[in-house]
Amino acid sequence: MPSDAGFQIAPMIDVVFVIMLFFMVMAGAVKVEHELKTTLPGNAETAKETEMPDEITIGVAENGAITINEDPVGQPNDKTLEGLYNEMMKMGTAAKQSKTKLLITVQAEEAAKYERVINVLDVLARADITNVTFAVAEPE
Amino acid sequence: MAGGGGGGEGEPEFQVAPMIDVLLVLLIFFMSITSAQVLKVDKNIQLPVASHGIKRDDKAAAGLINISWDKNTGQAKYKLDDRELDINDKDGIAKELAARKGSNEKYRLLIRADRQCHAKYISKALEWGAEAGIDNIAFSGLNREE
Repeated sequence: MPSDAGFQIAPMIDVVFVIMLFFMVMAGAVKVEHELKTTLPGNAETAKETEMPDEITIGVAENGAITINEDPVGQPNDKTLEGLYNEMMKMGTAAKQSKTKLLITVQAEEAAKYERVINVLDVLARADITNVTFAVAEPE
Repeated sequence: MAGGGGGGEGEPEFQVAPMIDVLLVLLIFFMSITSAQVLKVDKNIQLPVASHGIKRDDKAAAGLINISWDKNTGQAKYKLDDRELDINDKDGIAKELAARKGSNEKYRLLIRADRQCHAKYISKALEWGAEAGIDNIAFSGLNREE
């Protein structure tokens, strides 16, 4: 056997291939956390002149039904909420044209599920509406 | 071009060196995208999907409130980072959040709640934030369904 075996390239390539395959598979399975930003309601700077925005309340019912100013726009099993998205796009465009700010309050019932609230916030993020506050309705 | 030489005698030889270069670049690429996106998974919390949200910014200062949901009792459990919170100690929690916030106006409250959790429990966490003077709230969700 020769004393100087030299650097073997073939096994190195094998190993690199295996490691790369591992990372390729992992990359496909990876889940990342996204965040949806809101602010707390009732946070106005009183020192500045305040321009009253168009205020819209999106209701999230306990059963998952969605309303805009009490008009129904989403059924409890409707996850994509296309109706809400279309309304938000219309309102967003109208607000831009009239140069007013759109203020959305997402008001959930106490027993409404967090998943449903996130569905609504996700639609608002999709419609590029950023001025959003979240509140929970007091029981009547 | 690699393998293009040889003076036109016979077939061009297979070049190993450029292939290794490409392999290593691919390896580094896949390593970086996987390691950068590893989650701090709390197995008790099943996050909802928020595919249109922005990617979580782990560098920005935030108070992370984990809200898990107990299906049997129908109650939520709160953790500030890894530490369990006593929900009756509203003032204590608010003080701790206020101390963490300090004078940082951009400090935000990051809510990671289970998809089954009821809105009233989320509201409680927001109250603590309000007491501590934090009005930037962010809700966490996954980029895609599990």
